[in-house]
Order: sequence, then C-alpha cells, then structure tokens
Amino acid sequence: MKRSLRSWLWSVPLEQEVDDELAFHREMRRREGRTPPPDPAVRGTLLTLGRKRDREMRLMQWLEEIWTDVRFAIRQMRCAPGFTVVAVLTLALGIGANSAIFALADAVILRPLPFPHADRLMTVEEWGPQQGGRSRIELLNFHEWRHQSRTFDAMAAAWVPAEGGGPVMTGLDGAAETVSAQTVTPQFFDVLGVAPIMGRTFADTDDSTDPRVIVLSEGFWKRRFGGDPAIVGRMITLDQRPHTVIGVVSDSFEFIRRSSIWRLLPLPTANASMTGRGQCGVCQFLQVVGRLKPGVSPAAAQTEMTAVANALAERNGNTGRPRRVLVTPFRDVLIGTDLRITSMLFLGVVGLVLLLCCANVANLVLARMTIRQRELAVRGALGAGRARIAAQLLTESVVLAGLGGAVGLAFAGGILAVAPRWVPDGLLPGILTLGVDAHVAIFCAGATLLVGVLFGLAPVWHVTHAPLVEAMNAEGRTSTGRGNRVRRLLVIGEIAAAVVVLCGAGLLLRTSLILESIDPGYEAARDHVVSGEVSLRGPRYSTDQAVQQFLDAVQREVEGIPGVSAAGWATTLPMGHSDLGRQSFQVAGAEASSDARPLADLQVVSASYFRTVDVPIVAGRPFTGSDRADTPPVAIVSEALARKYLAGRDPVGARIAISGQGTVEREIVGVARQVKERPDEPDDFVQLYVPSAQVPRGETRLLVRTAQGDVRELVSSIRAAIGRVDRLVPLDHIATLDDVARAGTARPRFRTTLVAAFAVLALALAMVGVSGVLAYSVRQRRREFAVRLALGATAHHIRTLVWSDAARVLAAGVATGLTGALLLGQSVSAFLFGVAPYDPITFAAATIVIALTATAAACLPAWRASRTDPAVVFRE
Amino acid sequence: MADKTPNALLHGSLDALILKTLAGGPRHGYAIARFIEDTSGEAVIVEEGSLYPALYRMERRGWLDAEWGESELGRRVKMYRLTRQGRAQLAAETAAWREFAAGVSKILLAQ
Repeated sequence: MKRSLRSWLWSVPLEQEVDDELAFHREMRRREGRTPPPDPAVRGTLLTLGRKRDREMRLMQWLEEIWTDVRFAIRQMRCAPGFTVVAVLTLALGIGANSAIFALADAVILRPLPFPHADRLMTVEEWGPQQGGRSRIELLNFHEWRHQSRTFDAMAAAWVPAEGGGPVMTGLDGAAETVSAQTVTPQFFDVLGVAPIMGRTFADTDDSTDPRVIVLSEGFWKRRFGGDPAIVGRMITLDQRPHTVIGVVSDSFEFIRRSSIWRLLPLPTANASMTGRGQCGVCQFLQVVGRLKPGVSPAAAQTEMTAVANALAERNGNTGRPRRVLVTPFRDVLIGTDLRITSMLFLGVVGLVLLLCCANVANLVLARMTIRQRELAVRGALGAGRARIAAQLLTESVVLAGLGGAVGLAFAGGILAVAPRWVPDGLLPGILTLGVDAHVAIFCAGATLLVGVLFGLAPVWHVTHAPLVEAMNAEGRTSTGRGNRVRRLLVIGEIAAAVVVLCGAGLLLRTSLILESIDPGYEAARDHVVSGEVSLRGPRYSTDQAVQQFLDAVQREVEGIPGVSAAGWATTLPMGHSDLGRQSFQVAGAEASSDARPLADLQVVSASYFRTVDVPIVAGRPFTGSDRADTPPVAIVSEALARKYLAGRDPVGARIAISGQGTVEREIVGVARQVKERPDEPDDFVQLYVPSAQVPRGETRLLVRTAQGDVRELVSSIRAAIGRVDRLVPLDHIATLDDVARAGTARPRFRTTLVAAFAVLALALAMVGVSGVLAYSVRQRRREFAVRLALGATAHHIRTLVWSDAARVLAAGVATGLTGALLLGQSVSAFLFGVAPYDPITFAAATIVIALTATAAACLPAWRASRTDPAVVFRE
Repeated sequence: MADKTPNALLHGSLDALILKTLAGGPRHGYAIARFIEDTSGEAVIVEEGSLYPALYRMERRGWLDAEWGESELGRRVKMYRLTRQGRAQLAAETAAWREFAAGVSKILLAQ
C-alpha cells in the first residue's frame, strides 16, 4: 500500500522514467566496454507495462481513499453515538417504510404473475350494450370463440362463485359441508400452465354432459384427507352424486380466489335451459381466460375476437343489441385498478415521508458541521482540496445512509411479515406474495444511495461555500448565516410535505367518515341482524316446490327460537353482496328502445324480508303470504326506479317485465325505500324485488333479527333449526349486517388508516425539524438576546422574537404545502367520496393541526431564549 | 553444450534470480544485471530486453517496489527493492527450483 503512495508522490512522466532507466543501463554497459546491440523493442514493451501499472495504481489509490474515508466516517460516527443512532433510526424508518410499500407496488405493478409466460394470458369479457357493465357469457358462445379463434393457443372458461359458495360434500364423517369450488372447462389448467403435483388435471376426454371428475387443491387434500397418498381414484360425494378425484394441484396456484376443488362445466345439452338451477347454470358469469399464441399482440386478438363475436351475433340474429367483446390482460383483471392506484398512492405518501427523514438527517448533519467547522478548516489549511473534503463528507453521508438502509431493510422485512394481518381480505389477490426479495433489496440499496447523496449534499454545499479561513478564526461566535439559510429552507420543505400528507389523510378520513355514516336504507340495528348462506342442491331440491317447502319450514323453525323477532330470505345483503346482479327490465307501456334497456339490481326476497331488516314500504304494500306461485306475479321497486322510469304515473299498479324470466309481466304492488348495496352507490341506483314464493332460489341467504342481545349467540340455535328441516344443508358465511357493512368499507378504511399513520409520522418528523432549527438559531443568537436583555428587553419580548421567527417559517411552509396539496388533489380524487379534492374544511383542519404542533415545537426554544443570562453569555 | 543459450534456459528462472539478487538489498537495474553476471561467473548474461520487462512485471505484481534513488555516479536512478510479497515468492521459487534440480540431476547425473 505504501508502495503506490510513494511512487505516486515522486512520480515522473512514464516516458522519462523508461528513457532514463534505459539510458543509464546503456551508458554503464558502454563504460564496461561491452556494448551489446540495444534492443529496439524494449522501450515499447516497458511503456505498455508501465501504463498498465500506473492505471492500476490510480485505481488502488482511489479505492484506498474511499476506504480511508469510510474508516474515518466510522470513527466519526463512533465519536457521536447519539447523533448516529438518531440519524440511522430516522433513515431506517424512511427507507424501511418505503421498501415495504415498494414490495407491494412491485407485486402489483411490476412483477409478472406467477404463471408461465404470464404476459400471454388474457381474459375475454363480453360487455352489454348499455353502460351497465360486464354481461354474462353464454357457454355456447364461449365454445364458438374457442373454436374460431386463431390468435389464441387455447381458451378456457371458469365459473368462480362470488364468495366461496359451492357444492356440499357429504359422507366423510357423516357431516355435510360446503366446499369452495370452481367449475371450469377441461383446458383450464393447461391454459394457465399449471401442472398437478399428483395424478392429472382435466383432459378433453373428460368433457361430458354429466362430468364426475374433480381436482383437489393441495391444502384441501391435506386438511380434509390427511394427505392420503392414494387420493387419486378415490370417490367423493358432492351434492349427493359420486365424483372421482383425478389429481391434486399445488397451493401456490390460485385463480382469482382460493378454491378447494375444481370440477368440470357440463357440456350444454340440446335442451339446455338458460336459467338452469342446482348445477351451475350455463349462463353464469363465466371467466374466460386464454393464452395468446407466441408473438400475437393483445390488439390483434381483440380485432379477431370482435370479428368472431359479430359474426356469431349475426348468425343468431342478435344484430340489434350489439355486445362488445373485450380482450384484457389477465393481470389487469386479477389485480384491478383500485389496488394499482392504491399502491401508487401509498408509494407517493411514503416517498414524501422519506424526503422528510432526509431533511431531518440533513439538519442533524448540518448542526454537526458547525461543531466540525474547525476540523474541516484545519484539513483545508493542511492542503486538502475542497473536492477532497467534499468527497469525504459525501462518503460519511453514504456510510450513514448505508447503516440506515441495512436497518431499514430488516424493518421492512418485519413490516411485511406482520402486514398480511392488517390488510383487509380481498384487497390483495392471494396469489401475490409480499416479502423481501431481490427486487426489494435492489430498491432499498438504490433508495439508500439516493438518500445518502441527497442529505449528503447539504453539508457539502455548506463546506464548499463557506470561507475556510474565516471558519478557523470564528470559534463559533459568528455564524456564516449560510448553514442557517439551508436549514430554514429544509424546514419549510418539511412543513410543506407534512401539510400535503395531512391534507391527503384528511380527505381520506372525511371520505371514510362519510362512507361509514351513510344511510344504508334499512332501519334494523346493524348488530341485531345476522345472515348466513344456504345452497340447496342435488336431486332432493330439483323442483321449485321442494325449495319453497325448505325455505318456509326453516323460516317457521327459526322464528320459533326464543329471542328471534323476524326471519327472512334474500339474494342480496344490504351493504353487501348481490347474488343475481343486474338484470335488464322493461316497463310495460313505456317506449321500448332497443339499445338502452334499463338495468336494475334484481333481488329475490321472502315476504318477511322487509320486516326482518326493516325496509320501509313508502307506497303500496309489501309482499305477503298470499303472493304465491299460483297467484298473479308481483314485484316491488325501489324509489329510484319509480322516480326514473315511472315518473308522472302511479308506480303501484304499473306492469314490468324482467329479462331472463320469459315474457311474464309483473304487477308492481309497492315501492320500497332505497337500500344501498355499496356505501358509495349513487342514489339513483335502481332495485327490483320479486317474491321468492314465485321464483324460489335454492342459493340464498337467511336473515335473522333479534329483538335485543347478541345475535351471534343465536347462531347455533339457527343451525339446529335448519338441521331439523334438512340435516345435510349447512349454513355458511355467518355475518351480522354490521360485519357486512364494515367489510364494505374495509378498503377505504385501510387506505385512511395507513395514510393517516404516515401523516402522523410526517407531522412528527416536521416538528422535530422545526424544533431543531429553532433551537439552533436560538443558540446562535444568544449574544443578541443577551444584549437585548441587558438593554431592558423582557423575557416576553425575547419569546416573541422566537415565536415570530417560527411563524415566518411556518407560514412559508404552510403556503407551499397548501399549494402542493391543491396541485396534487386531483391525483387522489379516485379515492374520494362525497368530498372535493380541494375541500376547504380539510385544508383548514390540516393548517390548524400543523400550526398547533409547530407552536408546541417552538415552546422549548422560546423558553430557552428567554432564559438567556447576559452575565454568563458576556463572560464567554 | 555447443549451442548453449543461457537466456532461453533462464526464461523461467530469471524472476527467481532477480528476487534472490534483491534479497541482499535495494539495487538499480544495471546493478542487478551485473550481480547476476558476476556471481554466475559470466555463465548467465542478462540483457536489457529481458531484464527490464521482468522488473516492470514484478513491480506490477507487487513483488518489487521502485523508488528514485541516486547512483554511484550521482545520477538519478530507479532503485528496486523486495516487498514482503516478493520475499514470499522467492522462498516459493527456491523451493520449487530445489525440487526440480534434484529431479533433473537424478536423471542426467545417473551413473
């Protein structure tokens, strides 16, 4: 090591070195009397070798300097353990939080889905002619698409029930249980590229009108069959029909949501009813997923599918109601816009928090610079160039940031380990896993380096602009003023960033509060009603009469339980799920327009439903026991439907036809108050009720209301009541209406909580900055304060000086922050409901919060300033 | 040994000879050549074409260290000295040579 330094210091140009050496050698030889012929090639060889040597030495020297700086930086940090710990923890907090949020953004936005060649996976959807949304895909249409498409390698359809609902498995230990199932076409696993861990997956030869083969998930196989190695070939009873297990697939596979078993969609029979019950109907909401041929663009597939669908519609004579076919990357469908923009929001907020951390550490470092000013001045005087000193200071910053980054990465790992418990169900598709991986580590390293350079620039700028000789003489009595200005600007920036985050949190909080307090439309107390799901399947319930008998019998049994005040059936939970979705309808006598048929949320409810959840009937009558299968068909409409489609006439007595139910016209017997299905549902969302006695549904929900007390305590009695009617029908997805409503607002609540937590953090960081910079400025103005006090100023006067100093910084910060919040407001508008992005109340509240905390932060420095003792200061 | 060509024979062992020479103390290039020639009784002649490239290579490898010094005639010359690494290399090469020479001797000098 010494070698390179010495040769460096005393070096002469390489050419002279070589020439001198050779000349000396030749002269000595001449003196000896022996003059061998000079070798002409040797000079060139030596120059080449020398150049290589010098290059290496420069590199060595550079590395050595860095190493020296690093060692020096570590020594410096050891000298100031308090400063180091605070700085490292601050940075670790910022970098750790950023890395954790990045892991989410990476999984959601950047990383491909865990399927082979996931970029070739597309979903194909059909959209109705109305703005209404996705429409049902008919299985027959799907088969046409599959056979006619040339851009897809393969295509599969799957029916994914909304919430785990599925067939009932019996016979294992006598008990009946609902098993979550997805019903798919045989190509399903091949399209997604999933290989079984045991047995096989479906093959084309399994296709039939009554398929009896199933594939199990690894978890279900282990949990329910104890990992039976001979599972393949075993018979399992589903919906009272025997099925054969043909294979098991790994738990790392998931399609949209978890499923325990996969079974086959029956091939449509010649007389397939379009509203089949019991089995999954042939016109359920099918998910169609296809694998593009290599090199085919989604746009090409879109063009082709549009042509295929149009030709199909023409052949079926459906030209009047064009449906659009949409080819979208599977990734977009699986992950969804909400999750994508949510992770962008988090990334933005946490980025601001990191900047705040940076600013605070920069402030700390600047404060230390004043202590080290003399040290640096001495270095300068001894011949260290400004570039050299700057390099050394930057190295110190990067080493500090490196420590912060290392701790931060561990912190991020900790966050990600516990995060799944806080994330609401259904926000994150189960197939996405969060953890510290190579991507996150690289991001963390990048952030660390950036942060090190960012806050490292402050002292570098300070030093390279401060006159060193002055600093050497200064003894800290006068300040150059420059460091102070940088620090003020940093604090103004910190306040501004905190204001932006506070405003964002405030807007989200108002949104959450509005959503939580929304009037759901029903009057029963939310925690007095419990709901559960039943699913009547199999030969026993193949007729409407059988279903109706079950529903009536259960209602009678449940209403007989002591404490139960009412019980009813419904296919839609208020503030929760809607099983039937939107159906188009037509008001009799209204002008029929072919391309914009209105849609309504269709609900099949028992007569007791309105009483059970207490939905007021504002006109006409509710359903009664006398609305039966053999009486005239009736319907009840919501206020919005009456307002929008029956304006100017008496809704009661009007007639309405609902699609999917033949040409039956129903008489409207009543108007029900609007009931919200989602908290952010628009007020004009139309709803339509039909009595379950006229359209019995085997898949429906039981609602039970208690007069008082905990409704959950009734669950076992309710189960027993159902058991008395049919031992083999389980009650699933038990939830009170309170649970249901809370689940509906879980996402906004989660967003609000997280952003609010960051806002509190930002506020705390900004206040540490304010307090620090004021304390520093008070220390520097001690002589001024002492003079003022000596000349008769009161302590109150001195405090006012500090307060007004704080007020100036605060005003500048708040003004900048509010401007920023106004500019950024639009970017959060997607998350807001019932509140404008420039909501004045929120902005005012954010200003008040920051002003109050800033005042608190200024208290200590102001008090210190007023306690300046002139006698002590002058003696210094 | 009519066409004895010492440089060809030496090709592999010049490094070792230079290291051994410098073990006695720092020397400039010419002095190294003279020392080897004198000590070998002029059996080994070291020319500039092989000496200096070898010195530069060994400096790069860190076996030698160079600095400017003054010659006996008062001229500025480059002095080479052995580094710790060079000393270790000398020991290794000496051991290797001893083994090699013993092996060759067993064959060439066999009765």
